Amino acid sequence: MKLTRFIQKLILWELLVGMMVVIRNQFRPKVTVQYPKERIPLRPRFRGVPRLRYDPKTMEELCISCLLCEQICPDDCIAIKWEKAPSGKGRVLKDFIIDYQRCCLCGLCVDPCPTKPLTAIYMSHDYELAGSDRLDLVAGRTDLHEGRTVTIYDK
Amino acid sequence: MFRTQEMEINMGPQHPSTHGVLRLKLRLDGERVVDSWPVIGYLHRGIEKLSESKEFIKITPFTDRMDYVCAMSGNLAYLGAVEKLCGIKVPEKAAYIRVIMVELNRIASHLLWLGTHALDIGAMSIFLYGFREREMILDLFEAYCGARLTYNAFRISGVPADLPPGWKEECTGFLKLFRQRHREYEQILTANRIWLKRTKDVGYMDAEHCLALSVTGPVLRAAGVARDLRKDEPYAIYDQLDFDIPVDDGCDTYARYIVRMAEMLQSVHMVEQCLEKMPSEGPLMGMKGRRMKPRKDEEIYFAIEGPRGEQGVYLISDGTDRPYRCKFRNSSFANLQALAPMVQGGLVADVVAIIGTLDIVLGDSDR
Repeated sequence: MKLTRFIQKLILWELLVGMMVVIRNQFRPKVTVQYPKERIPLRPRFRGVPRLRYDPKTMEELCISCLLCEQICPDDCIAIKWEKAPSGKGRVLKDFIIDYQRCCLCGLCVDPCPTKPLTAIYMSHDYELAGSDRLDLVAGRTDLHEGRTVTIYDK
Repeated sequence: MFRTQEMEINMGPQHPSTHGVLRLKLRLDGERVVDSWPVIGYLHRGIEKLSESKEFIKITPFTDRMDYVCAMSGNLAYLGAVEKLCGIKVPEKAAYIRVIMVELNRIASHLLWLGTHALDIGAMSIFLYGFREREMILDLFEAYCGARLTYNAFRISGVPADLPPGWKEECTGFLKLFRQRHREYEQILTANRIWLKRTKDVGYMDAEHCLALSVTGPVLRAAGVARDLRKDEPYAIYDQLDFDIPVDDGCDTYARYIVRMAEMLQSVHMVEQCLEKMPSEGPLMGMKGRRMKPRKDEEIYFAIEGPRGEQGVYLISDGTDRPYRCKFRNSSFANLQALAPMVQGGLVADVVAIIGTLDIVLGDSDR
């Protein structure tokens, strides 16, 4: 027992065992993703920046300007402009502004959204948020519906 | 002719091995550290004060940003406190999902600790392997809640969503793989003579001093005190799970390594039990609506066992839907107090090892 211990110590046994692990890992598949060229597929529940959506059937505005998302936002980054509907009942959305500089992507605004079955505001899969101007990151109603234009440099 | 004098130098706040923005003022006598003063506050965001002006539900995203390495624990500690304050019951299924997430996050946190701690000391490959497995856990979190670092995965009184289809199988597969990979980490480090030389008898602190400085978590357990809130004051569903608390009485950096490595396996064991025992049906939220009605002038303290130690939340309510005072007892801040006594008399190179072994997150200590 003592002799095997001594021999193990002499031939740097534990370092060899560790080295074997390193060599074994050399032949495992690569996990590095070359980001701008390749992208990781996103999971369906991925939370990117919040965006608005139309009713997929009628292509009408889903948002009913109930202001619940504006109230629950911890960063106060949502601003909604609305006016009374001409018929006198309900509200008409005038503008919907989300300041992406302040948004913390927590997803709390989606929880209370009352429109069924699809929520008017949803967490999109957009995650590339760089801009060269502060106003680039303030998304108005059209930006929220169509998504911000992102310049992709592929060279 | 030759004169020696003590020298004061700065380590950090941009030093790569201070794990964030910790600044250490060191007084050196040659290679020996005579004295040290940790300077914190570079990441101070005033979360406690900010919380006083927000409704209870709005504070959850802030708790993500305190201990960003283990955000699920922060969520659970805060929400547990709110639920205790308002007397809300969490449905069983939601409690199980919470525990699964927290334990997986504990593994992720320990993997990050293992990688960066070993990297600081000089082992490069374990860093890459640890982060590879951590990425798998983050994928699981992304599939569940949509975020990879700041999860905001729980809501008051429950969880917002059920586990997605196929998640259980993916998780079981990961746990099976992780047991093998854990063996590899042990093969690389546990008996490695370089690792032993760098960690044995470095950063010695015995149980008495740990308790005096209110150090908790693996640092305390590596000093031979079996203090774990999951066993001592069970919250969520920990009383229904079968697990051990790894304890070591080495009191040094190596003992903390042993304890954390064993903890990872215990977490794997716990997640396996949870996946097996979790009811397949049942409500996810214990409360309808979002109005909170805490009792007036109530003070509560609720603590959970985070990966770094006791993570507590102290809330005072004044009857409104906002806390009157919200105090976070974060383990990194408490554990940081042990840094100065540990590095005293040691070598400069050991300071790096000791910062690593305390496993501090500066977002957690500065808040």
